[in-house]
Amino acid sequence: MKNSLKLVLAVVLCVFLAGVAGFADEYILGIGFTIFMYIALAQSWVVLSGLTGYISLGHVVFFGSGAYVFILIWGLVPVWLGVFCSGIVVGLVSLIVGYPVLRVRGPYFVILSFGLAELVKNLVLINEARMYVSMRPVFGAPALYQLYTAMLLLAIIATGLTYWIRRSRFGAGLRSIREDEEAAETIGVPVAKLKLLAFAISGVIPAMVGAIFIMRSGIFQSGDAFTPIVSFTMVTMAIIGGSDDAPGPFLGVVFLVLLQELLWVNWPEVYMIILGILLLGFVLFIPNGIYGWLSEKYFGNKKNVT
Amino acid sequence: MDSLLSPQLLAAAMITGVLYALISLGLNLVYGTMRLLNVAHGDLVMIGAYVAFIAFSLLNIGPLVSMFGAALICGFLGWLSYKCVFQRLLSNGQLLSRLEENSLLLFFALSVIIQNLAILFFSADRRGYEYLSAIVEIGDVRLTGARLTVLIVGAVISAAVVFFLRFSLFGLAMNALIQNRDASAIVGINVDRVQMSSLIFGFGITGLAGALISMMEPISPVMGFPYTMSAFVIIILGGLGNLWGGFLAGLLLGVLEVYGVALTGPEWRSVLVYGIFVLILIFRPQGLLGSGKTAR
Repeated sequence: MKNSLKLVLAVVLCVFLAGVAGFADEYILGIGFTIFMYIALAQSWVVLSGLTGYISLGHVVFFGSGAYVFILIWGLVPVWLGVFCSGIVVGLVSLIVGYPVLRVRGPYFVILSFGLAELVKNLVLINEARMYVSMRPVFGAPALYQLYTAMLLLAIIATGLTYWIRRSRFGAGLRSIREDEEAAETIGVPVAKLKLLAFAISGVIPAMVGAIFIMRSGIFQSGDAFTPIVSFTMVTMAIIGGSDDAPGPFLGVVFLVLLQELLWVNWPEVYMIILGILLLGFVLFIPNGIYGWLSEKYFGNKKNVT
Repeated sequence: MDSLLSPQLLAAAMITGVLYALISLGLNLVYGTMRLLNVAHGDLVMIGAYVAFIAFSLLNIGPLVSMFGAALICGFLGWLSYKCVFQRLLSNGQLLSRLEENSLLLFFALSVIIQNLAILFFSADRRGYEYLSAIVEIGDVRLTGARLTVLIVGAVISAAVVFFLRFSLFGLAMNALIQNRDASAIVGINVDRVQMSSLIFGFGITGLAGALISMMEPISPVMGFPYTMSAFVIIILGGLGNLWGGFLAGLLLGVLEVYGVALTGPEWRSVLVYGIFVLILIFRPQGLLGSGKTAR
């Protein structure tokens, strides 16, 4: 397919999805909301972990922090400005936190990302307990179709961002870090700067997603907002889809959200077990994900392992 | 401040320390010999605890006997996961190039599967049983019989394991593998077999530690996770793959945790453990005993 044709198709699809908000019922909008949410999350994850190989198992920290910032300024600023602010605040903080964190490499980074998320979660829990708040309700949130449209927008931005970064000079730099960080540094790629930038970019959108998510759930609870399940679902989706390029996570998300829709309510354990088996199978047998596998098989271009 | 110097607190720190040392030993073996990062480690503690619980409540077998059963069952799981999953991972060049990251994802998947199977079978409720719950007094220290037993049995078994690894042929082969995989293969060590045995052995002692823990604490399908975290803190503190370092770090973390909680309050326990964890990773990823070079 020609690129322009692809673009036209994508625009038509987006306009259609946005138009659906006008007349679809709550159930459809709810599923759409969840799909867009995970697309935005998984695409953001790919910017850092898919491209640089710094696998983050604690990406929920951005999601939860965004939600927390948002609930703290809730009522003080207009709703959408609040969402925007939470993204900016989390992005700025991650620029500072990222500096020491990204000096840690390989497997150490993977466990560090996880430990960091748990540390932030427990600090928020303690802070909330000190103020004698166990949960914070969100009153007067916008209607579901508005949230749906906002989430669609975030999903589009995240996908576009991943697509663009993957093909930009910036993205080439990030992938050189994944292949061989020392070699990249030697030939003059500013690895420290690029990593930090990717880390912050990869945090901004999940923060905004977190903010919108608590308007949908109507409640902020630190334990739920920072649950590792979100991190793991993100990782699984990206890996099942193929985490090197924008179409990959997209496939993984649609597949898993539908599965979640079928099983989550009645058999949450079975859902998690299937998730585990899928992750196991994909890492062992199809490490390039659905997208990588398809493009290798049908289009003959070989993708790199992430 | 008086309470900080009390032998009571010291005893509590010793119990936690010995258990931590034992649990982290298994994790360290698996990392040291194969470079696998086992994030499902705490779930083995959970399995061991449930084995002891079931043996006690259904079959009326005490945990001091059933802990060997727990070790056998967890060892069997080690064999199974080696045959089904890790043999493939360790022999596939493409997967091997990002071994640690891939092993993390695989173990994570296993952890999710094990935990949810446990919830399906045993429900998510917390359970416990009464065993040796009478108070024993030694000097100024008052302990339940169960905690005293855990301290003694844990110390004996840890010592036995350390000596076994230090002096037996099998232990020496494992040590050789930890030091240099390729060289061990060249001098005629059957790498595949030693890898499999260390996975079985590492899983087994962890299951045994789980059975001991079930004597003192309520158990639940999600109880393992904090142990995974603590075990990781310990083996990084001690230096990845460094068995002695890990053993000492286990005792150290037990002391830090018990005294830290006594100083601040129980709600700070997780913050304390994760805080040490994050700081260590950022400032001394090679561990306290390690040289300037990272293990990577």
